[in-house]
Amino acid sequence: MELLKIQNVKKVYTTKLGLVQCVALKNVSFTVSEGEFVAIMGASGSGKTTLLNILASLDKPTSGDVLLGGRSFASVPDRELSRFRRDNMGFVFQDFNLLDTFTLKDNILLPLVLSQTPVKEMESRLLPIAQMLGIDMLLGKYPYEVSGGEKQRAAVARAVITDPQIILADEPTGALDSKASVHLLQNFRALNERAGKTILMVTHSAMAASYASRVLFIKDGEIFAQLYRGEDENRAFFDRIVANLSVLSDGGADIG
Amino acid sequence: MGVRTLAKGFYVKLAWANIRRSREVYLPYLIACAIIGGIYFLVCGFAMSGELTGVPGGESARALFQMGVIVFTVFAAGFLLSINRFLVKRRKREFGLYGVLGLSKAHVGRILLLENAIVLLGGLACGLVFALVFGKLLFLLLLKLMHALPQNEFRPAPVAYLATAALFLGVYFVSSLYNLAQVHLANPIQLLQSEKRGEKDSKLVIPMALIGAAMLGAAYYFAWTVESSGTAMGIFFLLVLLVILATNLLFTSGSIAVLRALRANKRFYYRPQNFVSVSGMFHRMRQNASGLATICILSTMFLVTLCGTLSLYLGQEKTLAPQYPYDVQVSGYAPYHDRLGADAKLAALAEEHNVVMHADESGLNYHNYVEGEANPDGTVYPGSELYMQPHSLYLDGTLHFDLEGAEEDREAFLDAARQLSMVLKNEAGEDVTYYYRVRDIWSARQESYGMYGGLLFLGAFFAILFLAVTVLMIYFKQITEGYEDKERFDILQQVGMDEKQVRGTINAQVLWVFFLPLATALLHMVFASRILTRMLQSFMLYDWVLVLCCALGVSAAFALIYLIAYRMTARAYFKIVKR
Ligand SMILES: Nc1ncnc2c1ncn2[C@@H]1O[C@H](COP(=O)(O)OP(=O)(O)O)[C@@H](O)[C@H]1O
Ligand SMILES: [Mg+2]
Repeated sequence: MELLKIQNVKKVYTTKLGLVQCVALKNVSFTVSEGEFVAIMGASGSGKTTLLNILASLDKPTSGDVLLGGRSFASVPDRELSRFRRDNMGFVFQDFNLLDTFTLKDNILLPLVLSQTPVKEMESRLLPIAQMLGIDMLLGKYPYEVSGGEKQRAAVARAVITDPQIILADEPTGALDSKASVHLLQNFRALNERAGKTILMVTHSAMAASYASRVLFIKDGEIFAQLYRGEDENRAFFDRIVANLSVLSDGGADIG
Repeated sequence: MGVRTLAKGFYVKLAWANIRRSREVYLPYLIACAIIGGIYFLVCGFAMSGELTGVPGGESARALFQMGVIVFTVFAAGFLLSINRFLVKRRKREFGLYGVLGLSKAHVGRILLLENAIVLLGGLACGLVFALVFGKLLFLLLLKLMHALPQNEFRPAPVAYLATAALFLGVYFVSSLYNLAQVHLANPIQLLQSEKRGEKDSKLVIPMALIGAAMLGAAYYFAWTVESSGTAMGIFFLLVLLVILATNLLFTSGSIAVLRALRANKRFYYRPQNFVSVSGMFHRMRQNASGLATICILSTMFLVTLCGTLSLYLGQEKTLAPQYPYDVQVSGYAPYHDRLGADAKLAALAEEHNVVMHADESGLNYHNYVEGEANPDGTVYPGSELYMQPHSLYLDGTLHFDLEGAEEDREAFLDAARQLSMVLKNEAGEDVTYYYRVRDIWSARQESYGMYGGLLFLGAFFAILFLAVTVLMIYFKQITEGYEDKERFDILQQVGMDEKQVRGTINAQVLWVFFLPLATALLHMVFASRILTRMLQSFMLYDWVLVLCCALGVSAAFALIYLIAYRMTARAYFKIVKR
């Protein structure tokens, strides 16, 4: 079933004086089905974060529209946006964005507290997720007391605890070493395969993308190509992604 | 050689760039330096220049200022050093970054020395200019408070310049040593991480909070119940110390204990507004509790100083009245020995000088000023010797009378009366001359205005000093917290809190952090007013209502200034958060 539909999205940044225009997204259209794990790849500056911010309703497209579960973003009034976001989407960012003032537990519970969930229900939801992500022993610690990988897993837990329709991740492995990256990506895969979560992940690492079921390539603000995993194992898919990158991006030198 | 000058220019440039880049911090620091420097210079000027000696009551005022210089030196140096400490501490990360970027510690140290020199020199210069421009005006104001006429212009003595320069040089020396130590003692990694340290609470939070509460309770109890002015004077500084310690403990540990209790209550804690506020307060209190305690203590000092000096100044007539039930008192052996003769002699002298002396019994309607028992029905002690004389009233060896006539005539009469004497034979048969001791309310009043006017002036200077430092600390807090909260603000929005909610929680938090010190200071003041009243009794001031009125007035004025400071600094804060 079609969950997310992006229709002819264009984004133009204008400087304050309106003199210089920067076209971040030219004309982007694609759809994401329920239960998919989609990776978006592209060089630095190709418009990945811009696209994700629009999908997250944190930013508005210059033209075009985004529909989530058939509902157009444009139809959501501004004052309902934060609630809409809270109820339907979970975010994972490159630099974790955990609050230093909360323990990991409270960081994870934050979105539930904001939607005024009863204490009992919050706690019953927390434990299975924390166990699945392997951070159940760390819940009482503060973000500055744990490693980057653990922080990121807490951020993932925060993203999924509201049981959102879709999880959006912007370079979630960007600040992690390779071991922690693999751990996190395995978590993503588990969430996708076992819990049936739809995931959309922006990355510039072919290794990270090889965990997805589909990879979209973006260049200069346009969708350039896409690859399906099919029946491939990670390794084979990785090789295809790398091959694709080197064919499609002027020798692939600026990827990564 | 060429390389060296180039390098030197480079350091100056870098230091100057640093100052400009953080001008939102350095500009207020500079202003504080200017205020402290300017006031210090003026206090030195008043204490060390001859202008005050000429005016009536000036000697006492000058002596006061000379004592003030010593206390002022301690406070001014302490404040400047602690502001510097605060500023350097929050820059540790930057020093670490320099280290990582390959600037050696010696280089960083040199930049710091230069920055420090630029700001202190700039502040000193501004302060001196300000003091020279407004010094004359303030001198006239001082004379007005002293009810004295200006005799000559205020021209600060060279030694005042020297003292001020010495103060700043000393501060520069000590603060530079501290800064260099900060840079040299830590390695870059530590420096880079220093902002993230220290979020763990000690296990002693609850006992510490209890000790703090007990100390404050004890201090309040003694301040409220102290009976004699002698004891009050004796224990005042002890109580001040106790209150300072208790305030610190309560702010650092007490706040954490309360917040913990709130957090333990899950039904309360896991509500959107409370959730964010309580955790935010945790963070704030862990980092800034002692800063808040300092603000509170400084505010209390401001209130007590100004209230005490203002009460004394405004209560002067009330102090004089019991001491001078009549305008003039003549005592000594002669009037005691021969009251009727003395009365006649003085009356003759009065006629000679065109003044009239007279007395009735109404003047006895005063409260006895001897410590302890008041004399509420206005009668004289039993056993006192009281006789009405033709022109005066004789009470226990002293002649009291009012004096009417032109001012010059009165003065001439008093001078003449001081020359009166009487020759008597002592036991060995030798002649001994006994002079009359004449005291009059006019010179006492002049003396009193000189003393208390000077005291009020000095008190106001101290108050300005406390106020400047308080406002500066509040401002610094807002700025540093602004940068932290900006991050929080952004993250909360990403997680799905809407902007209005975020603004609401942050507002509530800022209000708490801001008004906690004010409320505590006002509470301290309530109890301080009691012991202050007792202490003022040693100055013959028996008027709790007056002290209370002064306390109220000063508190209201302070709250207003505090509010204005809040509004202004909150604007700086929100500018950062919304950027
Ligand atoms: N707020 C902004 N204002 C102006 N230009 C922007 C803004 N954000 C991004 N851009 C520009 O849009 C382009 C795409 O940026 P971004 O989406 O961040 O790329 P990526 O995440 O793929 O590295 C870049 O050229 C960037 O300079
Ligand atoms: Mg990006």
